[in-house]
Amino acid sequence: MKPHVFISFTSLAMSVATGTAFAAPPDLSVGNPFPDLVLPSLDGGRAMSIADFRGKKVILHVFASW
Amino acid sequence: MHVPGWHKATAEWQKQGKLQMLGIIQEQHPNRCRLFMQWKKMNWPIMVDSLDLLEVSVVPITLAIDEHGIIRHRLRRPNVKWLEENFLSKTYEGPPIAAESRAAPPVMDTLRQQAQRKNTPEAWRKYADALATWAPAKQLDEAIKSYDRALSRVPNDGWTHFRLAVAYRKRFDSPYRKTDDFQKAVDQWAKALDIDPNNYIWRRRIQQYGPRLTKPYPFYDWVPQARKEVRARGEVPVKLAVEPGGAEFARPQRHFQTTGAEQKEPDPKARIIRDKTLIQTEVTVVPPVIEPGRTARVHVVFRPNTQKKAHWNNESGRSVLWINPPAGWKVDDRLQTLPNAPNAPKAVSRETRTAEFEVKAPDSAEAGTIELPAYALYYVCEDAGGKCLYRRQDVSIKLRVGD
Repeated sequence: MKPHVFISFTSLAMSVATGTAFAAPPDLSVGNPFPDLVLPSLDGGRAMSIADFRGKKVILHVFASW
Repeated sequence: MHVPGWHKATAEWQKQGKLQMLGIIQEQHPNRCRLFMQWKKMNWPIMVDSLDLLEVSVVPITLAIDEHGIIRHRLRRPNVKWLEENFLSKTYEGPPIAAESRAAPPVMDTLRQQAQRKNTPEAWRKYADALATWAPAKQLDEAIKSYDRALSRVPNDGWTHFRLAVAYRKRFDSPYRKTDDFQKAVDQWAKALDIDPNNYIWRRRIQQYGPRLTKPYPFYDWVPQARKEVRARGEVPVKLAVEPGGAEFARPQRHFQTTGAEQKEPDPKARIIRDKTLIQTEVTVVPPVIEPGRTARVHVVFRPNTQKKAHWNNESGRSVLWINPPAGWKVDDRLQTLPNAPNAPKAVSRETRTAEFEVKAPDSAEAGTIELPAYALYYVCEDAGGKCLYRRQDVSIKLRVGD
C-alpha cells in the first residue's frame, strides 16, 4: 500500500499546485444538462438562468461583440 | 452569426413559441454588446458573464438545449432546415419540468461566512465571483482581496488570475480606481495566459489592449458604424459606459511602422515649468513583459486632479506627449496628441485623456527594466475660471524586458 499512499499524496500536492482545488468546469458536451448558472441580465442586471426557460427549446449563443 | 436566413427563421420560431433565443456574453464591458444588439436588431435576452464563470476557452459557441435543459447539439454552422428537422420537431424525454422558478442572485453574507468558515480557495473564489459579478463597484476591493486569498493557496490557477484581472479592470473603470489597476489587470491576464496559452478568451483580452502586430482584428471598429446606422433609423444609440480606446480600434499590422521621425521635439531643453499636482498620470504596458525584438502598446492616462479642481484649457493649443526612446528602441509615433473627449465642453473640461503608442524592443535588449523617457506638455487651469498655465510633466514609463 505504501506506493499508493505516496502517489495519493503526490497527486494531492500536484492538484493543489495546478489549481484543481476548484470544482471542475461545467461540461458542455452534448447529452449533459446546461449548468444552472445565475448571471445578471444585460438589460438591467436582473438575475437570470437558463432554468428560467425550462419547457422551451433554447438556442444559446455564447459570444462577444468584438 | 452570419448565416443566410438564420435571423429571420429564428425570429419566426420565437413568434410561434417554438424556440427561445438566448445569449451569454464574455466581455469586459457588457453594455457595448447592448449597442451591438440594438444595431443588429437582436432583442433576445442576454446574460453577462464577464468573469467567464462558464469557463469556456473559446467563443462563439452555439448550443441547442431542449425543454429539460439538456444540451442536444453543438451547432458549428447553424442551418435552418437541419435545425427544424433535427431539433425543433423532436420531443425529448426528460425529468418533469418544474413550475417556473425565477433565478435569484447569491446572498453575499452567506458566501462570506462560508469563505471565512471553510477558508478554502474554492470558497474564497466563489465569494469573490459573487462580489465581482453582483456587488456595487465599491465592493471590488473585497472581491480583489478574496481572489488574492484564493491565489495565496493555489497560485497557478489561470481562471482565478483571469477573474482577478477582470475585477482590477472593473475597478479601473470605476470611481473607486486605485493606482495601477489597469496594469495589474494586464499582469493578471498575462499570468493566466502563461498558465494556459491555449485559452482564446484570455489571449483575446491581452490582444484587445495590446500592440497591432499581435492583433487578430480590430476589436470595436464596428462602434462608429453601429452608431451611424442606429441614428439613421431615428433611434438613440445605447450610451457606452466606457468608450473603446485606441487599441480597441487599432487595425492589425504585419510589420512595425514608425512615423514622425522628422518631428521636432517640443521642449528639448526642458525649459517648460513642471506640473506635479494638477494632472495625474498612469501608465499601462501591454503585454507587461516585452521580449527582445517584440512590441508592446503603452497606454498613458491623464486625469485632471479633482481635489485641485484642475481643468484642461481647450482654447490655447493642443496637449502632447513626446517620447525619447533609448538607443535601439523604436516608437511608432514619438509625438502623440492627447485627444479631447468626444463631447468635452469647449473652453475647459475635466475629462480623462489617453495617449497610446507602440514600442519595439531591439533584438539585443537585455532582460530587466528599462526606462522610456517621455514628457507631456499641456494647457491646464487651476480651477474653472481660474489661472491657466502651460506645463510640462515628465512621465515615467518603465518597460519590463523578458528573456
